[in-house]
Amino acid sequence: MIDVAGLGAQVGTFRLQDVTFTVPHGQYGVVIGPAGSGKTTLLETIAGVIAPHAGHIALDGRDVTAAPPEDRRLGIVYQHGYLFPHLSVERNVAYGAADLAFATEIAGRVGARALYDRPVPALSGGERQLVALARALAVRPSVLLLDEPFSALDPRSRTIARRTVRALHRELGITVLQVTHDFTEAGLLGDVAVLLDHGRVLQAGPPDDVFRRPASPYVAEFLGAENVFAGTVRALGNGDPEAAEQRDQRPSPDGHRSLEFRAGPLTIYAVGDAADGATHAVIRAEEIVLSREPSPTSARNQFAGTIDEIATLGALTRVSVDVGGAVLVAALTTRSAQELGLARGGRIYASFKAMAVHLC
Amino acid sequence: MEPVARTSFAPRSFAAHRTASILAGLCGSIFLLFLVAPIARLVAGGGTSGVAELFTDAELRGALWLTAVTATVAMAAGALGGTPLAYLLARRAFRGKAVVAAVLDLPLLIPHPVAGIALLLILGRGSAVGRALLHAGIQVAGSPVGIVCAMVFVSAPLYISAAREAFARVDTRYESVARTLGDPAWRAFRRVTLPLSMRGLIAALVVMWARAVSEFGAIVILTYNPKVASVLAYDRFTGFGLTEALPVAAVLSILALVPLIALRALRPDRGAGMDG
Repeated sequence: MIDVAGLGAQVGTFRLQDVTFTVPHGQYGVVIGPAGSGKTTLLETIAGVIAPHAGHIALDGRDVTAAPPEDRRLGIVYQHGYLFPHLSVERNVAYGAADLAFATEIAGRVGARALYDRPVPALSGGERQLVALARALAVRPSVLLLDEPFSALDPRSRTIARRTVRALHRELGITVLQVTHDFTEAGLLGDVAVLLDHGRVLQAGPPDDVFRRPASPYVAEFLGAENVFAGTVRALGNGDPEAAEQRDQRPSPDGHRSLEFRAGPLTIYAVGDAADGATHAVIRAEEIVLSREPSPTSARNQFAGTIDEIATLGALTRVSVDVGGAVLVAALTTRSAQELGLARGGRIYASFKAMAVHLC
Repeated sequence: MEPVARTSFAPRSFAAHRTASILAGLCGSIFLLFLVAPIARLVAGGGTSGVAELFTDAELRGALWLTAVTATVAMAAGALGGTPLAYLLARRAFRGKAVVAAVLDLPLLIPHPVAGIALLLILGRGSAVGRALLHAGIQVAGSPVGIVCAMVFVSAPLYISAAREAFARVDTRYESVARTLGDPAWRAFRRVTLPLSMRGLIAALVVMWARAVSEFGAIVILTYNPKVASVLAYDRFTGFGLTEALPVAAVLSILALVPLIALRALRPDRGAGMDG
């Protein structure tokens, strides 16, 4: 378990401030943040390389705030590997290992065993990352800190490396904390996501929660949400026919109210506990359904519009729909887009459920 | 219009570039000649007789031996005392660091006879330290110990400065990784930092040794006798004239090639600061 509470550290003029999050034992934590947000500083502070000036760090229930790095039973893999250039690949992997057979086995598992005969300076960036990973795992750490460890790998090797790390993490019961820029990677790997910016935690929790229920419009936009609208919200009253309809369709067992959100030409129905007043509405692009005819589904929000832009990237297509001056972006499979016969300037209906609207 | 401008401009630019190159080459050659000519003349004039004198002149052999031994001892003392200081300056931020760095550069800036006088004031027979050392059986002034002290004083700052750079070139993350792999600070230094900075440290030691061998000003004040090679050359020049001093000076110049070759052999210094 990685338990960080109120952590503060300073490197030059950069400061980590009041960083708090927990990655439960044996789980996979992912730190997401833009360049310069303090991700590496956070890992190095947990590793004991940087001394914190505030807060506590506990690893597997043991307070290690003042412990030197060698007493923390953790491994760190930097983005650039930092293999010792004066040692062979084999000696790099075995550097801290007490069990050489285990070190060799791990090297084989991550694909570093095949590199034993190569001199370190001749390795590519991706190969160095694999060797560094094997070196860190060979000491049987209870916590593994990964600083963008797959960034130099080609897509195929990256997929294999991710799978291997995930498998080893489960087999060895290691708690992992990985830094990444890649939201897909965060979603694929993480049990816990920590969003870091300017040395502060903006949000922490299960990746799905962080992605679907961002704490602020900034977080939403940072996480790639295309549909973020500023507007005002009001609760729909009892006499309001819209509210009655909304209640009929969406009973709210947790006391959430039917809400109406207005942003320019858009009137969006939502469900939540937001107070009346100015707020932001976030709708994930993948929650928006496109159809050629008005949709007979239960989705409360439906807009007629014209297709403004179609962007296809492999299996996914993003479609921008102009709905009376506001733009809604929908994400759908390229196959669905082809089946709909979408064309720029064409008429289309965009719909989404009230539950898909997140107010923050 | 652009091609026309090019055809009229390019030859002129090329000619200007060639003229500038010729001028720079000429200036460089004159300067190089200024540096090489005296040494070449010295070796040509006294090299053969100097080498021959190595077999016949016991005083010359003794002076060279004393120079080599005292410079080596000074180098060892510099490495022993200077390495931790260089590491500290390269790796740690502490209050007064700039002052320490400035103090370390001071011996390089003051005239060397002045350094000799300063050392004599501290370590000479008239000083408290000198008397205490004498009482303990260690004579500084007028002994090889004095030569070593003078050599350390004038050459150790060079070593510390170069060693500091050698350590600074090694990325601290190598040490961080070694620490997380179970090494305490000292073992991480021994297993990682030291090997990665070794070329730079050896080069720094060679520079220190060469500087110690060539020292005259501080040594002549602190210990005229026994004579190191530089003092012997001076002694022969003032006592017997240029002809007598020439072989000694020529041999010293030839010996200066040894550290020069060693430094060349150590380059290029592979950047350990680069990601390995």
